[in-house]
Amino acid sequence: MVLGGVGFAAFGPRGAKEDGRGRVVLDYWEKWTGHEAAAMKKIVDAFNQSQDRIVVRYLTTSGIDQKTLITIAAGDPPDVVGLWAYLVPVFAESDSLIPLDELDTKGEVRVERYATGFRELMTHRDSKGKTRQWATMNTGGTLAVYYNKAHFREVGLDPEKPPRTIEEFDAAHRKLVKRDADGSLTRAGFMHIEPGWWSWIWVFQFGGGVYDAASDRSIIGAPEAVAAYEWMQSYSKELGVDATKKFRAGFGNYDSPLNAFLTGRLSMVIQGPWLANVINAHGPKDANGKPLIDYGVMPAPVIPSLVDPRNPVGLVEGDVLVIPKGCKHPKEAMEFIAFTQRQEHVEALSLAHYKSSTLAVSSEKFLREHPNTGVRVFDAVAQSTQGFRYPRTQAWTQFKDELDGMAQRMWSLDQPAKEMLATVQARTQSYLDRAEEQRNLRGRSIRGGRA
Amino acid sequence: MIHSRAQLKKDLLGWLWVSPWVIGFLAFLAAPMAMSLYYSFTDYPLLEGPVWIGLGNWQRMLTDEVFHAAILRTAWYAILFIPIATAMALVIAALLNEKVKAGGFFQAAVFIPTLVPMAGSAMIWLWMLNGEYGLINQSIHAAFGWAGIEGPNWLQNSKWAMPSILMISLWSIGQMVVVYLAALKEVPDELLEAGALDGMGPIRRFFNITLPMISPVILFNIITLMIGSLQVFAIPYVLSAATPGNDPRAMYFFTSSMYDNAFRYNQMGYASAQAWLQLLITLGLTAIMFAASKKLVHYRA
Repeated sequence: MVLGGVGFAAFGPRGAKEDGRGRVVLDYWEKWTGHEAAAMKKIVDAFNQSQDRIVVRYLTTSGIDQKTLITIAAGDPPDVVGLWAYLVPVFAESDSLIPLDELDTKGEVRVERYATGFRELMTHRDSKGKTRQWATMNTGGTLAVYYNKAHFREVGLDPEKPPRTIEEFDAAHRKLVKRDADGSLTRAGFMHIEPGWWSWIWVFQFGGGVYDAASDRSIIGAPEAVAAYEWMQSYSKELGVDATKKFRAGFGNYDSPLNAFLTGRLSMVIQGPWLANVINAHGPKDANGKPLIDYGVMPAPVIPSLVDPRNPVGLVEGDVLVIPKGCKHPKEAMEFIAFTQRQEHVEALSLAHYKSSTLAVSSEKFLREHPNTGVRVFDAVAQSTQGFRYPRTQAWTQFKDELDGMAQRMWSLDQPAKEMLATVQARTQSYLDRAEEQRNLRGRSIRGGRA
Repeated sequence: MIHSRAQLKKDLLGWLWVSPWVIGFLAFLAAPMAMSLYYSFTDYPLLEGPVWIGLGNWQRMLTDEVFHAAILRTAWYAILFIPIATAMALVIAALLNEKVKAGGFFQAAVFIPTLVPMAGSAMIWLWMLNGEYGLINQSIHAAFGWAGIEGPNWLQNSKWAMPSILMISLWSIGQMVVVYLAALKEVPDELLEAGALDGMGPIRRFFNITLPMISPVILFNIITLMIGSLQVFAIPYVLSAATPGNDPRAMYFFTSSMYDNAFRYNQMGYASAQAWLQLLITLGLTAIMFAASKKLVHYRA
């Protein structure tokens, strides 16, 4: 029994790399579930039917970042993985991916094909400091503010002229707040920490940033950041810390009928294009099944000097496809990736995910038929020169955890913004220093050897 | 010769029978432990090979503020949970030890929560503790709302995070109750009767007879509670991830830090050092408890 077990472990079956018909088998791991996974499955099926040399096995899995990490470390990764774009630097700096610019001989996935905002997400320096293309966009996600047009009309705001500046946004928010007889909140115009997934982005709306890549420094304590977080705290002060905590306790999950925007508890919310899917799936509907929420989408508000209707300020993020180091069939993997990046497939997937296209040019049909009525705003953010991305540092996960925790304490008014930011700047800098120490140990400092 | 051959065959057969355990122990416990000890002296980001840094990770633990806060929070949890859980389990076991109607039902009711997986338990409590719609706050409102007393915002107020986690942990003390119940049933009736004849009341009998008689079991339970407390992870992890608007650091414990460093921050070397520190603390506290038990624990001859 024991010998059998050892023998099985040592010489037992491995994941087949060739099917019975002599086709190369590629393993493709993706993080999506439900309708998002099903949409990608259609593209995989189309690829499998399109030729007779390669067959893609599609597996959706949770914890894909950790599983990919472990399989690369173990030397037996899948052939293609769908990661989040912010993870590219982590894998790229250690050369744990195969650069696509080596494999893309026909230029089918060159970065110029994609919208301006996405290009940086696909590239990063390798272990020698050379910038390479490591990924292609699979779907994109930009952020903008959804607003409830009915609420706007109710308080005398023009839903066709949504606020553009911070000042206009504040005025709209104040008008939209509703309380009941005992003073409890029944509706808020806007709350920065709902849903709180991108707690730090407001700094950019004030012209600042959180990380300076050139010097590898945390700049979360800079005056722009102080202004942004003081702005956040002004909402908390006005609405009341305890009142908003009690109010928020009644918010349901994002992907449920109790989503605060769907229940009308929030009139404005920062989200990606995918919220339209939740509105259609879970929002109130009329007798014919038509969604009743009349929503509009506007770019997130900015300080007056940043207002530029053609180049809105907003986060540009997305999902990417990569080929891990150790992939047995990189050429075939590249062929599959290139297939997924044909315009018809990119648009089909984006439509199914309710997202804007990742490509530089979207077809008019795509924009016209898109189920998200605000898709042009999300597309504008993707094409904008003022779009920003998650900081491209391998310390970002730790950095972001710190910022997310701070946002909650900021909202709770635990300390003045400036003091809290000074503390957090020091701490986040220590994470960057730690990453630099790791690079130094391996002889690839990005600060010239100074940690 | 014949005898030694037979003995050898017998020995080999014995080893063969225990070999699944031995192989499992070596492959899945001893080897990983040895490797993690080595990694604790290296910088090991998983995607690249480990680089020896000597005591670097251990020195870093001295200056890591987030880790210090996590250790302190874990210590508080242990300090609060161990005595409360022990007292509650003892009281419940003592009550269940009485001959009451439907005693079996109550025993089952106390034990069943231990069968619920930790993550499932956390999800149930997530709803129970909801500040606005949760069963607990709704009950408090129904009972005391007339006096203006309302339940707190359990999970979104960082001050109430620890009481929430304690409450959830206490829900699952059934296993300990069963062990105490078994121990209570082993206390000789003649000793209790002798105490009663000597004029001892039930409380004195409990403290002077029952408690010393079950003290080895109390020691065992306290040590397992201490180990469990130092490793608390699943409940705060699920609650923290599933509660919008909470301060994630309010539910950040020793093991949370270790998990993040290993699997989210790609610092396996540092996480390994943390794991070894946890083991050393556990061994140290266990040794102290055993030393203290010499005077406090009564072993029957």
